[in-house]
Amino acid sequence: MRHFKLSLQNDPFLEIAKSINNPYIEKSDKKVIGYYCTYLPEELFHAANLFPFRIRATGNDETELADIYMVRFTCSYVRATLDLALKGGYDFLDGLAICNSCDHTRRMFELFDYKVFNREGYKKEVPRFYAALPHVITDESYEWYKNEMIELKGELEKAYNITIKNEDLINSINIFNKNRRLLREIHELRIQKFPKISGTEALQISIANSSVPKEIANQELERILNILKGSESIKNNAKRIMLVGSIVDNLDFPRLIEDSGATIVSDFLCFGTRNFIDDIELRPGGDPLDDISRRLYFRISCPRMMDDHKRRLEFLKDEIIRAKIDGVLLQRINNCDLHGCDNMLFEHELKELDIPIINIDRENSMEDKTRLQTRIEAFLEMINK
Amino acid sequence: MINKAELKNRAIPYRMLSDVISNTSEIAVRILPEDTMPSFRIGAELINNVLSRNMEKISEGLPIVGYHFSLPAEFLNCFDCVPICMEGVSYYLAALLHNGVEKYYDMMNSWGHPFHTCTSQKGAMGMTLDNLFDFDAIVCPTAPCDSTCGSYQFFSSFKNKIPLTIIDMPFIHGEDSYRYYANQIKNGLINLGKVIGQEPDFEKLKSYIEMENEVQKLRLEIFELIKAVPSPIENMYNPISAGTQIFIAGSSENLIFYKNYLEITKKRYKKKEHYGGEEKIRSIWPYMVTFFDVSLCEWLDRELDMSILFDIFNYNFSDPINTKSDLDEMFLGMAKKSMGIPMVRQSTDFYDVFIDDCVRMAKEFSADCFIYTNSIACKQFGSIPKILREALRDEVGIPMLIIDFDAGDGRMTSLNTFKERISMFVQTLL
Repeated sequence: MRHFKLSLQNDPFLEIAKSINNPYIEKSDKKVIGYYCTYLPEELFHAANLFPFRIRATGNDETELADIYMVRFTCSYVRATLDLALKGGYDFLDGLAICNSCDHTRRMFELFDYKVFNREGYKKEVPRFYAALPHVITDESYEWYKNEMIELKGELEKAYNITIKNEDLINSINIFNKNRRLLREIHELRIQKFPKISGTEALQISIANSSVPKEIANQELERILNILKGSESIKNNAKRIMLVGSIVDNLDFPRLIEDSGATIVSDFLCFGTRNFIDDIELRPGGDPLDDISRRLYFRISCPRMMDDHKRRLEFLKDEIIRAKIDGVLLQRINNCDLHGCDNMLFEHELKELDIPIINIDRENSMEDKTRLQTRIEAFLEMINK
Repeated sequence: MINKAELKNRAIPYRMLSDVISNTSEIAVRILPEDTMPSFRIGAELINNVLSRNMEKISEGLPIVGYHFSLPAEFLNCFDCVPICMEGVSYYLAALLHNGVEKYYDMMNSWGHPFHTCTSQKGAMGMTLDNLFDFDAIVCPTAPCDSTCGSYQFFSSFKNKIPLTIIDMPFIHGEDSYRYYANQIKNGLINLGKVIGQEPDFEKLKSYIEMENEVQKLRLEIFELIKAVPSPIENMYNPISAGTQIFIAGSSENLIFYKNYLEITKKRYKKKEHYGGEEKIRSIWPYMVTFFDVSLCEWLDRELDMSILFDIFNYNFSDPINTKSDLDEMFLGMAKKSMGIPMVRQSTDFYDVFIDDCVRMAKEFSADCFIYTNSIACKQFGSIPKILREALRDEVGIPMLIIDFDAGDGRMTSLNTFKERISMFVQTLL
């Protein structure tokens, strides 16, 4: 069941979300730095004249090579990412920046060190950067985080023999703030009564946005925004769903939900609203790196932040009301303890809103598509609209 | 008037633990031959002393503070409170109760707690959900794993609303990290004090820390003696020693345990005696033993002549904490100790440290093999075994057996499966 006029179908920008490689990587005259996750400062990489590329697993359903090193209790998204890297899928990287986002990803990047960049025949020297993130949001821990960002800046300067000036940072902040504003404008078209864009397409835009130089992304977002503004709203009776939980970069999953009779009008995902809901506040005469760090650290958190569940819950509640959500789909990739525990609490806490909720587990590869489809369709059927 | 019985009901699982340790200890003393499992005999009695004393304090209305095992128990002696280790209660009840604590795991799973999270927390969560615990406060570092960070939010959220003090531990080691964490511990204790209405008495804390410094020396002596062939400890020492560190650290009983056990170890060492007969295989367990049934330890000693030289709770001893200088220095030492607990250290640092430690210890302790129990909950450790196996093969020339399991739930991998797999593995070694 398709609910939307396909104004963005086969759009070249959205197509970028379907694979890892894209023409901008090949054409780029900048060094490409892979990064994981959103707690790392894209603006800083940009100011260092690097092309930040968000690491993901798109298009790789296999985990065979990664399974040699990571046990079956590891997240299948992470194993698929490592698998892709072991096959050479990330050989285009000129740098890699990581942090302790979660247990799975941190260990995956150590395996990048051991097994990807050290594999036979691979000669490239790839500088690696690590930032240790706090697990709480407090002023004292912010100082730690800020120092990590200062150190990261110094390490980037040393590794690439560059100097990152405040003007560079301010310029990058402006470009990235514009990018977030454009994403927010698109999001507004998604949450309106009759949306102009599907959740799958919005996710594609968000993924593509993290895979191309931001200057290009901004041009593309403006173009897409113009298309959307001129397109018809879709008037149908699809259930308005909010998608919450583990990372989604396999488009088959949101497509399955939307093909089952829903529209994902909002989300709480790594590649989703969390990324663009706010801007960097540039304080006149202030320290731009501090401004960048403040936004990343104090913005709405992901479940890795142990003391911020309440704020995440409030965000969900607000968004449920703002986007007129009919039902909440909580999901986690199996073995994801952080989203699994957060979802467990959401499932109980959101009951006070008297809103239908489903809490499902899944694998990254969508091998269990039929099971998911049955559960999602049953869930959508029980929503009265 | 205080109703002592009612107050006691604030920690029913703790009382169950006290009872079951007491009963098991009595059975062991009455039924088993006198020379069997001395670590258990000594340890169980001493642990029970402390637990009974704490039950008295609970009945007097002292605040009950749940804590995560990565915070050394003696740190909470700056308060007049009863510290209860969440993971310890779950796993020692799992070890000692006939059906473990499966009921509480299942209760939490039904409530939505993911099946792949740690049962050491799941047990205490289920007991809390079942209103068996009434904590006044809980304190938890942000390490060693996602399961900890995710699961502990349960206590402060939803219906429980137990005040949760979180101590942020950096996932990197170095002087900056230790200083940061030292401050986190200090502020965390001050904050915890506000929750339970007490000022932390850091002067009083010093004496407990000094006592644990003595304990550390004794543990280190025992650890050195394990290098001898045959090993002078029995396998059961591993879970019991983990238990004393979790339940009675900071008490005189802990000191007595290690003093007494060191004497036994020395005697065996001098006579080149090995518990259970001949020592045919020396194994290192870089992760945990089976807490759902610790009888495996005794079985390995008796039936396979296999020594468990140590597991993840029984190696790596930090330097004594300096209590003679200023408080900042003491907290720095506390931070180093806390971040040096093997499971914490190996989780908050990179692979290299763990692999180097294992390779070094394999050589120093003349290990014949490693047995890597790979927990469904410990994602930090799930990416290491294959690399560790390569390192042990290439650098030491010894094999490693990997067994997937749940440390607190025998339904995932049963005791019989363990026995069969290890027996088959042993055949390849002899």
